Amino acid sequence: MGKLSVLLSVFSLLALGACGESSSRASPADSFIGDDAAIQRGRLIFAGTCAGYCHKLSSERTDAPYLFDCEWVHGGSDQAIYNTVSQGVSGTRMIAFGENFPEGPADLWKIIAYLKVNRQSCG
Amino acid sequence: MRTKISFFYGTVFLLLSCNPSEVKVPSDATASEPVAEFDDGGETVEVLTTHWINDANIGDGNGPVTDSDLRASQSEATDRWIQFGGDYSNRRHSPIEALSPDNVEGLEFEWGLPTGTIGQFAASPLIYDGIMYVTSSYNRLFAVDARTGEIFWRYDHQLPNDLRLCCGPANRGASIHGDKVLMATLDARILAFDRMSGRKLWESEIIEYYRGFSATSAPLIVKDLAIIGVGGGEFGVRGFFDAYDVNSGERVWRHYTVPAEGEPGYESWSGNSYETGGAPAWTIGTYDPDLDLLYWTTGNPAPDWNGDARLGDNLFSDSVLALDPDTGERQWYYQFTPHDVWDYDGNTHLFQVDLQHDGEEVKALVQANRNGFFYAINRANGEFIRATSYMEQLNWAESMEANGRPVINPEAMPSEEPTMRVCPGALGGMNGAVSGSLNESLGLAFLPVIESCQLMQKGISMYVEGQFFGGGMPISVDGVEDETGEVPSYGHVTAMDYQTGEVRWRHYDPQPMMAGTLSTEGGLVFSGSQTGHAFALNAETGEEVWRYKLGGGVRSQPVAYELDGDSYVAIASGNFGGISAFSGANVSMIPEGGQLYVFKLDR
Repeated sequence: MGKLSVLLSVFSLLALGACGESSSRASPADSFIGDDAAIQRGRLIFAGTCAGYCHKLSSERTDAPYLFDCEWVHGGSDQAIYNTVSQGVSGTRMIAFGENFPEGPADLWKIIAYLKVNRQSCG
Repeated sequence: MRTKISFFYGTVFLLLSCNPSEVKVPSDATASEPVAEFDDGGETVEVLTTHWINDANIGDGNGPVTDSDLRASQSEATDRWIQFGGDYSNRRHSPIEALSPDNVEGLEFEWGLPTGTIGQFAASPLIYDGIMYVTSSYNRLFAVDARTGEIFWRYDHQLPNDLRLCCGPANRGASIHGDKVLMATLDARILAFDRMSGRKLWESEIIEYYRGFSATSAPLIVKDLAIIGVGGGEFGVRGFFDAYDVNSGERVWRHYTVPAEGEPGYESWSGNSYETGGAPAWTIGTYDPDLDLLYWTTGNPAPDWNGDARLGDNLFSDSVLALDPDTGERQWYYQFTPHDVWDYDGNTHLFQVDLQHDGEEVKALVQANRNGFFYAINRANGEFIRATSYMEQLNWAESMEANGRPVINPEAMPSEEPTMRVCPGALGGMNGAVSGSLNESLGLAFLPVIESCQLMQKGISMYVEGQFFGGGMPISVDGVEDETGEVPSYGHVTAMDYQTGEVRWRHYDPQPMMAGTLSTEGGLVFSGSQTGHAFALNAETGEEVWRYKLGGGVRSQPVAYELDGDSYVAIASGNFGGISAFSGANVSMIPEGGQLYVFKLDR
């Protein structure tokens, strides 16, 4: 039981780390953090494509998850978010976007960078 | 005797294997694929486990619904509700006098029907021959004994898992013609069923859903045509509505709501923006048999909140169109919101009325448009008569020109850094997903109203077929607590004097109104709230005279009917949180799930 507790604790720390910005593994999104123009582009594509009648800027209950907290239904790593957007979620309103952005995958990484920059503290 | 079998899936399969021809009713087990085929009178019929068939004699012997029945005024029959709007005038007004403020306290729960689905239960049930036909979210169609709630048959449309839905899995009702019941589906198909057995008679694809299309409305029956439009304004579709032969399912005509190159109105789109121009026709229209004109409304140009690439008025978005119903050719149009950049649509409920104007009686359409104005339009020629605000907050337009063109408040335009609370918000003052009602005796239209302003955020537009093409977003600032701890959004049922365009009374609700209204000749107005209550108001004063806790938020369109001298009111509950939040609602602990409630007046 003692070993199990230690393992669970380590797992929990890893999970918390993955949720915040302290993840040590760099992703293409990280290269845009600090780049104001890239973050703004991510914000405006988010507004034009992801928001609409789906993801909100505030946390009221909808069927589309709030993307500025630490609860990720389909994985919160940058790559998991990328996969969710590009592949969609079957049976929900989240359709697969592929890499169909004006500047290709770079735009999707800019959206993810925008989400990361504006993510609430994971406590 | 009606066969009613409730087996486990495997039991049904076994029975089908043993003697397929004797199995009439599949089980209520769920499956997404057909489980068997059997020979039924020489034709191979695909059986879905969720499709329940009836072979017993049902109904009161009223016979097929005729064209004469469809043309009759609702005031002539209390035992039926055979069109979405009651009758072609679209007033959703019941002639039942017994449903009055004096005795409504005797209205008691009689029977219920769970749909087994989540999402908004938005339907207006049909009543005919003692049978109720009602559709649920995700396209279930039920035929039910209108007196007892006993299910006669059920069809459960098997939908793909990659639907293109802006706003939830809604269906607002079926239509009826002859011995057929028709329903349109979220995957953009239209189907007809035998109204007694529930067997499918034909099915036609309207268009490929994965290109961004869906169908959520009840079809409108005109002569031998079933007319149905599509949704997809948030996906950059080129909008249209179709007419199908009710007997064969063959398409007779298609009317595009965005002109092609060289057609009138093409010049109102910059560049090639017309190709992705939206203007969906997602709500039901209405028909005037005397003028032989079909009226249909159109939705927002796409992308919704960024008009930079579609400069111009963007005809025929946000409009009402009058057409020859036999050919689909346009006779006239009126555009409510030229170059819409707020998703105001033009799709809200149309009423046909006789209007006193300049000393003459005018055949008119009146409509509480999503943009906050209550319009009166000459329905013979499309001339603008009047527009007045039916809201308490309206600031996107500064005034209305004499020709009916709004004068835009430039500060209300969407921007990348929006600061102005624009009223109404994107779901409008009254949304097209819900209906109003109109009592001619009182001269009042009863409107369910949303008071929830929003910031209009412009974003980057990105068109890919079948993907969301909004170009921005509405930010629901009124749906959350402000600095004083209050939630600014609210709702009301407003009684509008449609002859003058003036507000007679308002009945307030803490949440924006997202349910339709029903009025009765006895002087009641029924509706429901997003907190899960049905209520009735005194039609003359707005005073609440009856209330019942349904549990689920109300998004449906109530109806009333009378059988064997008993008066019934049907109202469904079941909301969709995705859109509820965008309406500015601030509700919690309201469960999902569709449930129809039928109340009966105690005699």
